[in-house]
Amino acid sequence: MLFNSYEFLLFFPIVTLLFYVLPHKFRWFHLLIASCIFYMYFIPQYILILFATIIIDYVAGIWIEKSDDRKKKIYLVVSIISTCLVLFIFKYFDFFNQNMLALSHRFGFYYPEHTIKFILPIGLSFHTFQSLSYVIEVYKGNQKAEKHFGIYSLYVMFYPQLVTGPIERPQNLLVQLRQEKHFEYANFAAGLRLILFGLFTKMVIADNIAIYADQIYGDPMAYNSISVLKGLFFYSFQIYCDFFGYSTIAVGCAKVMGYNLMDNFKNPYLSKSIGEFWQRWHISLSTWFRDYVYFSLGGNRVKIHRWMINIMIIFVLSGLWHGANWTFVIWGFAHGFFYIVETMIIRMLKLRRSANETIAKIVDAFNVVKTFIIVSFIWILFRASDMHQVKLILKAIFRNIHVKDDFHVEPKTWLFLLLFIILDSFLFNTRFDSWANAKPVVVRWSLYSLLLFLIIVFSSVNNFPFIYFQF
Amino acid sequence: MEKYKTLIYKFLLLAGIIFCFNFIYTKFFFEKDLQKHSPIINSIRKVTDEKNEIIYLGESSNTTFREDDVDKRSISEMISDYYPSRKFGNINKEASHAGIYYTFLEAIPENSNVKTVIVTLNLRSFDASWIYSDLETALQKSLVLIKDHPPLFNRLMLSFKGYDIKSDAEREVQFKKSWTESKLTFEHPFPYDNVTDWDFAMAEKGILNEDGSKNSEATVLACHYIKTYAFQIDTIQNPRIKDFDNIVALAKKRNWNLVFNLMAENIDKAESLVGNELVSFIKQNRDLLVSRYSKKGVTIVDNLTLIGNDEFVDQNWTTEHYSEFGRRLIAKNVSDSLKKFYPKDYKDYVSANKKISSFYNDCEGEIVWGQMQTLTDEIAYSGKMSSKTGQKQDFSISLDYSIRNLPDSLKSISISFQKFQREINNDAKIVIQISGSRFKYQWNGFIVNDIAKSLNKWEEVKLNFPLPDDFYNASVIKIYVFNPTNSLMYVDDMKVDFEK
Repeated sequence: MLFNSYEFLLFFPIVTLLFYVLPHKFRWFHLLIASCIFYMYFIPQYILILFATIIIDYVAGIWIEKSDDRKKKIYLVVSIISTCLVLFIFKYFDFFNQNMLALSHRFGFYYPEHTIKFILPIGLSFHTFQSLSYVIEVYKGNQKAEKHFGIYSLYVMFYPQLVTGPIERPQNLLVQLRQEKHFEYANFAAGLRLILFGLFTKMVIADNIAIYADQIYGDPMAYNSISVLKGLFFYSFQIYCDFFGYSTIAVGCAKVMGYNLMDNFKNPYLSKSIGEFWQRWHISLSTWFRDYVYFSLGGNRVKIHRWMINIMIIFVLSGLWHGANWTFVIWGFAHGFFYIVETMIIRMLKLRRSANETIAKIVDAFNVVKTFIIVSFIWILFRASDMHQVKLILKAIFRNIHVKDDFHVEPKTWLFLLLFIILDSFLFNTRFDSWANAKPVVVRWSLYSLLLFLIIVFSSVNNFPFIYFQF
Repeated sequence: MEKYKTLIYKFLLLAGIIFCFNFIYTKFFFEKDLQKHSPIINSIRKVTDEKNEIIYLGESSNTTFREDDVDKRSISEMISDYYPSRKFGNINKEASHAGIYYTFLEAIPENSNVKTVIVTLNLRSFDASWIYSDLETALQKSLVLIKDHPPLFNRLMLSFKGYDIKSDAEREVQFKKSWTESKLTFEHPFPYDNVTDWDFAMAEKGILNEDGSKNSEATVLACHYIKTYAFQIDTIQNPRIKDFDNIVALAKKRNWNLVFNLMAENIDKAESLVGNELVSFIKQNRDLLVSRYSKKGVTIVDNLTLIGNDEFVDQNWTTEHYSEFGRRLIAKNVSDSLKKFYPKDYKDYVSANKKISSFYNDCEGEIVWGQMQTLTDEIAYSGKMSSKTGQKQDFSISLDYSIRNLPDSLKSISISFQKFQREINNDAKIVIQISGSRFKYQWNGFIVNDIAKSLNKWEEVKLNFPLPDDFYNASVIKIYVFNPTNSLMYVDDMKVDFEK
């Protein structure tokens, strides 16, 4: 089920109302059933894959907790391999085959051509990582194994964050699922505020600018360099507003019932460096890689060349997590590269923030613009279907200076985007619910009214699925 | 308790805000949205504005013509010829079906002048590939704003995709499933359980050429015929039945005369490509529909077998697109059925079976021939317009006609038209072009100024041309003025008479 569908407009109030009406002991069951319905709206049979992952890690968690150190490790490894195997089969099998086939042609060895192609279950990478997070935390002793199969299933399947995160840790979500929640007006209002803002971000901003980004990426050579750059700019905001919008709705849906999910975004386009960007973009994924992979590799407590390798591993894995395509791998590599270059420049030149506040602010502004430009260019790799399309986009940017085109953006699209950029700047390091709550009632309700009106009347009528659904 | 009170107050406030939004949206934004997302509303409004009494609802069968048609008008326009005293209107949308028509009909205000509704009944619209067609999402989306709800609610449904929205891949899964799961039952032993089996067998066996080799093109077409027509309407499950039933109920409620116009299918081709079994399925479905809706008091015009293969525009696909002759036959059939509602208004405007041998175009734009873009109001012999040639506009209006639609035993053509020129032009010609796969191409040009060469005044040009002996082996005849020069020549009131 999509958050921006009319089915969800019915589903959400019913599920929320029943949640508060039912006694605490039945709520896990109610939410689990609701989550199954939510998930099965896409391809119903794929819920079996989800259950396979759940069973593997549920059993593994209990065995890990019971066992001695040696067996613990074996169970952990078996659990990780089994969970990742599901991910590999559905997400990477075809990519692996294609590459093996290409290698077999190049080096002349036999590799059978496989014709099996799986449709990727929605949100597979998200719930796989959430499930892995549980077994690793149990292994580390930070989390007790969950004995209640229903509650554990709900931890993996909790509908607000089931398909595109945030990727929660058991210490945060599993604990909350056991707590009795009482209706609190503050939570309820905060949740609705977040849902409203999330819907506005996705439906009014992301979906309206998606048309223009698609237009440019569809046939870049037909457009003037400036138009292609506008397309890049639009895509940067499309992907941000799309994913940020979804995450905000997810956090809001959980908040209405009194559950706190982690924030996935903190104004990423106001970052002054690539490093800071990754502290503000898809936070639940970057902290997952940091905690479970980067630290295991030694983090930054190693020699410089080893640290560089660690960084590259993290970013390349992050790219591969997004999609089974070389464009994603190179996208991750490019982020790693710029991260290392920036860090090395700062270290070597021993750059520090200027004591003069004005100069410091000018430098900050320059860095924000620089980071945005780098990130926007790297997004080309993320959006393009293959490297050929990447080449076409770059060619169009640098060669189509004199090409005449009819790329016209409706003024209202610019206006909405400007409105979002202003709002996003106001929300620097704060969340919409708390920011709005601090405003006088008239301002607050005027803002709600404006957002509601824009959502109903100016949402795009074209169907653009959430971009991160494919991951 | 206090917190629940706060909640209730806030919900009331929200309800008030939404009420205001509906007012603002209706006043300032709704019309623009309607024009952008549901332009069909204009046809529906026209029905009311023009006070139409009889309306015809159709799909592409009512908007398609063949290139060589002289009269390129739609079936509904041809029907209106028979009832000149009644106001006719039509609502056309490509790929429509009864579910779409029902929404259109619901949108017609109750105080409209509509008395009779003619609804296209397309047999193929009951088939899975149409029910689950990839065009369905766009069609359903175009209906959201015209539904009978507050405009703001309709816009909300459009924003939140509150209609049957599915990807092409999802729809493909649906119709393929239906082809496999819907069983085919036949009165005598029949080797195939379902469409998928039959289709597979046809693809395997194929249609053979005379030399025994497989004719791929014909085989693909035969498979397509099977997938399109091999079904048996399930009156409980088939959604079209519900749609037509809804239309019947609505007509009853509004007190409309209801006519279902069951369209002709290419039975000749179905039989020659696939065989009698397929034709039996088609006829079985026809019989079921005719019986079901006759019992409900609907007037059914059964055109199923009315039109022969040659009159179908698309020879390599299944459509209900007919030549002018085919459209005339259907129009005649429908107008006959309307006699019982309007006995005194019927006028035998033109016999549907009569083959026409006289053609006239006054260049006023009402009679559609080829090259209509040459019409200009710069100068005219009669009325306000004429056809302008010269200066890179080489061809005048052109009569393009299918020879099989002409009467037999014709011996010659008599052509006359008015021309206006300001200078002598020895290159402009009147052309009679005859072509066909079984005929040696003929291009006969006669210099206009050899016949009439007055300057700065209108002058009649007349020409007689004997038809070749093998004229009836040809397919198409074209008559026009060809002027590849920079010297202008205007043509008006062109008349062509085929004579015995």
